[in-house]
Amino acid sequence: MSSEETNSILSLNSIEVLYDSVLLAIKGVSLEVPNGGMVALLGSNGAGKSTTLKAISGLLKSERGRVSRGEIRFDGKIIGDVPPQDRVHMGICHVIEGRRVFEHLTPDENLEAAAPVSMSRQKINDEKARIYEYFPRLAERKASQSGYLSGGEQQMLAIGRALMTQPRLLMLDEPSLGLAPFLVAEIFGILQKINREQGVSILLVEQNALAALEIVSHGYLIENGRVVMHDTAEALKANSDIQEFYLGGGEGKNFHDIKHYRRRKRWLS
Amino acid sequence: MDWVFLAELTVNGAITGLSYSLFAIGLVLIYKSSSVPNLAQGGLTMLGAYVVLAFSYELGWPLWVAIPLAAVIMFFVGLGIERVALRRLAGRPIVMILMMTLGIDIFLRGTTLAIWGGAPRPMGLGVSYDPFFVGPLLLSRIHIVGALVAIALFVAFMLFFRSRQGIRLRAISDDYMASWSVGISVERGVGLSWALASVVAVATGVIWGEIQGVDQTLSLLLLKGLTVAVLGGLDSIVGAIVAGILLGIVENVGSGYLDQMVGGGSRDLVVAAVLILTVMLRPHGLFGRHDIERI
Ligand SMILES: Nc1ncnc2c1ncn2[C@@H]1O[C@H](COP(=O)(O)OP(=O)(O)O)[C@@H](O)[C@H]1O
Ligand SMILES: [Mg+2]
Repeated sequence: MSSEETNSILSLNSIEVLYDSVLLAIKGVSLEVPNGGMVALLGSNGAGKSTTLKAISGLLKSERGRVSRGEIRFDGKIIGDVPPQDRVHMGICHVIEGRRVFEHLTPDENLEAAAPVSMSRQKINDEKARIYEYFPRLAERKASQSGYLSGGEQQMLAIGRALMTQPRLLMLDEPSLGLAPFLVAEIFGILQKINREQGVSILLVEQNALAALEIVSHGYLIENGRVVMHDTAEALKANSDIQEFYLGGGEGKNFHDIKHYRRRKRWLS
Repeated sequence: MDWVFLAELTVNGAITGLSYSLFAIGLVLIYKSSSVPNLAQGGLTMLGAYVVLAFSYELGWPLWVAIPLAAVIMFFVGLGIERVALRRLAGRPIVMILMMTLGIDIFLRGTTLAIWGGAPRPMGLGVSYDPFFVGPLLLSRIHIVGALVAIALFVAFMLFFRSRQGIRLRAISDDYMASWSVGISVERGVGLSWALASVVAVATGVIWGEIQGVDQTLSLLLLKGLTVAVLGGLDSIVGAIVAGILLGIVENVGSGYLDQMVGGGSRDLVVAAVLILTVMLRPHGLFGRHDIERI
């Protein structure tokens, strides 16, 4: 346990999250992301995945939620009282659900907006060039309005924008949602490359377990706000429950979930 | 048809309209960052004028000292209003925030009345009232000054919104949550937009204070400024300029002919008609951004 902790860039120790002081959305989630590692957090709709990420990035605050129990450590330091902006400066960046790019800005301006205030002009240009190398499609469209990019391009921009903040831990909330399989493969391949080349640790939230387990080393399965399973990606892929619910046969159910989810989202936004 | 009369009405209307644009730019700055039509912008304009007078008229300092000093003070007044009154309302229904800005407007009117009284005071800018002819057209000098200031501020803000800080403000106006997620300080950005709008209020207050004298009625400019901002699209600086020119022309030409028929007083009617028609026919205004349909 202690050796694991020293190697972890992120560790959650049985945290609970309350919304509006009453609704217990997650009930004792513990997880570790090893330094330089790639970990998936899997689970169906409403399981508490997004809430977990918001607890880590501090974005809970803007939704009247708070961590009511347990502790979150980043780099060994407890970050419960650190405001969201400062967590970004520490190196935690959360790519929120639904690829929320700045729609009325160009992709180039999206990247500029995310650059830390203290970053020099030279460094900004270098970083942008590096991001365009990862995402050549963005480079082609860097002067168009981001709201009119395709879904895949917007997801790439959301990830590129997050890279601009110089993260050490990149957390992604369902980047595959609503994207064609070939795009999911492309984006996940780039994530792997970023992880290898930049040493950025990655916490990947997904409903698409099949794709996620291909690129991570470990996975956690969360249900009803609790971690119900934790293992290596290999073991999870071989697990019969996971196979039944998330990998095999469940295509129809997943598809339905996603459709339902998107409809709900439209109502909410 | 008297073409010189029509041309004179049109050109003077356009120039006067740019002075409305000046006011509208302040509204647009705040709307852009927080989607709030700031009903206190009239109060801020009036306060800006009084603060200038406090230095120039009461302390006897020259205007070239008094105006920049007032701009600095109003910058911090804007920051303060956001910090104290608006920030705690973040996330509340927009109508609560509207009521707050209305409350601030009434508060500012009451405060200036208590401190400086209600008698109109001259701004003392010293712009001459001698007739100024361009060809056969008789133009108003102070309105030309106002138009030039509006254009200068327009250029300055167009440049500002291309700067790094300006891009961050535009990002904030697009999506608070996404801004937080990449470490942008939304609160500081919104505060900055209030500060800048309050500086614009000083410019507006000086020009309109010179035109109609400084008293509480300066805050009533809100009506025309809001009409211009709505016509322009509420979040567009370009829109504020174009809509100001348009409204000025429509108002001046419309009332120039209508007044002859009804015997005066048709200006406000024309402005009201423009506001109502805009909201009915083109709620996004001329240049307002449409929300992009998400795919
Ligand atoms: N802002 C919120 N206010 C209240 N309840 C919320 C809020 N966001 C999520 N919840 C609730 O918390 C639970 C977990 O949601 P979420 O973390 O979004 O799940 P997931 O991301 O796994 O789909 C759900 O029951 C959801 O209804
Ligand atoms: Mg979610």
